[in-house]
Amino acid sequence: MQQFLNVTLTGLGQGAVYAAFALALVLIWRSTRIVNFAQGAMGMFTTYLALTLIEAGQSYWVGLVVALVAGLVLGAVIERLVIRPVEGGPELNAVIVTLGLFVALQALAAILFGSTFRSFPAPFDLRGFTVGDVNIAFTANSIYVIAAVVVVMLALVALFRFTDLGLQMRAAAFSQEVSRLLGVRVGRMLTLGWALAAVVGSLSGLLIAGGSLVFPAYMDAVIVYGFVAAVLGGLDSPGGAVVGGLTIGLLLSYVSGYLGSELVALAALATLVAVLLVRPQGLFASTAARRV
Amino acid sequence: MSTGSLEVRGLTTSYGAVVAVDEVDLVAEPGRITAVLGANGAGKTTLLRTISGLVRPSAGQVLLDGADLTRTRAEEIARAGIAHVPEGRGVITELTVEENLRLGALLGAARRRTEHGLAEVYEMFPPLAERRRQDAHVLSGGERQMLVIGRALLTGPSVLLLDEPSLGLAPRIVAQIFALLRGLVDAEGTTVLLVEQNARSALSIADAGIVLNLGRVVARDDAATLAADDALRHAYLGF
Repeated sequence: MQQFLNVTLTGLGQGAVYAAFALALVLIWRSTRIVNFAQGAMGMFTTYLALTLIEAGQSYWVGLVVALVAGLVLGAVIERLVIRPVEGGPELNAVIVTLGLFVALQALAAILFGSTFRSFPAPFDLRGFTVGDVNIAFTANSIYVIAAVVVVMLALVALFRFTDLGLQMRAAAFSQEVSRLLGVRVGRMLTLGWALAAVVGSLSGLLIAGGSLVFPAYMDAVIVYGFVAAVLGGLDSPGGAVVGGLTIGLLLSYVSGYLGSELVALAALATLVAVLLVRPQGLFASTAARRV
Repeated sequence: MSTGSLEVRGLTTSYGAVVAVDEVDLVAEPGRITAVLGANGAGKTTLLRTISGLVRPSAGQVLLDGADLTRTRAEEIARAGIAHVPEGRGVITELTVEENLRLGALLGAARRRTEHGLAEVYEMFPPLAERRRQDAHVLSGGERQMLVIGRALLTGPSVLLLDEPSLGLAPRIVAQIFALLRGLVDAEGTTVLLVEQNARSALSIADAGIVLNLGRVVARDDAATLAADDALRHAYLGF
């Protein structure tokens, strides 16, 4: 029972990070119909910026704010300069561009920040709670991770549902042409979509780094599992991203806890294959296929 | 709505090697409905899409009150006051009825033309009021037409471009919508360019019309004269 509780709580903590990453992928997919393979590298880069500040003496929270703002700027700049030329063209072009960006960012990070493993501080306690004489492997930091993801998601929901800007962004994502005819500056909406997605991606990069080691490829696991989570939930569905993220987090935690950590990658791969075979649009997508 | 006179000079639009709009000249005056008629493939839709900026012309000019809008982006043309209700209506089905209307109202506010409000649109079109919080895809064809006309009104346009508003609608609904358009134009002096295959109905509310064939203007006159010209009607308008 105790092990079940521990494994579940750990899975939820990890799942929250995958959910955030999957949400970033979904935001970009919905607005530009592009899978951003560079999402993890962008998050890694902004986390390194935070680390540089923290090692220079700034607090974790300053590092967090800087990383999020840097994410915002990085997302906007990348959309405007690198992605805009390939939007609306053959999808393969966008795939190649984002993959190229992934490689370039990782290499740049290694050059600027070195490829040695560096430890990243956690803002809260990393020791588990003790209830009575039961040790629960759930930490204060995990609570912070889940809370941070929840807050960001609620902020995004509020933005999209209740603000005029959110309405215009949704309109631009659903129907570019009609939105143009209604005076919506679609280009700016796409840039903003990428900027917001990058903020969420930056957050996931920071959260997974806390209490762990950072090196240029440290986001690779999150990228893979976050991607599986997005596919599982349905690339079209923000809610699906959250459910997918939590599901993958829990699933991989159970596999690791009960079957052995060597099987985690296999479990992720098996999930991906199963989704693509049985319900390729994911659990929550609204359409099974896109008519072109 | 403020008024604006729309002029098109020598407009030519091609899709690759196919010339869809061939040196079209057109003047649409405020307070008048100008019908654009012709068979399928005559270039009517392409003409509207060129005016509203969705498609670039290869030659010619589009002028609104003398200002050259020819190579401006579509969203800026909309902000200048040209409202285009496209072929297929352009309902954003993933949004609710109210959200669709709000998009129009946002543009109206940006243009500082808030003479029409949501409440007024709901009064004009009671079925929309009933379904205001429902996703727009539940609307019938006639209701969708009401939605996109209401949405266009909320933008406070000087010029209204309508692409086949009668398509797929029952004759009674078509009559209602056309009567509404005529009433609006008379009351507010909007400039309306009405593309229709249903030439008979269009000419019944229009002041003037042009007939396109293979992208070229083959006839240009006031509506009554066009409607009375039997040879023309048989050749190009199907009745």
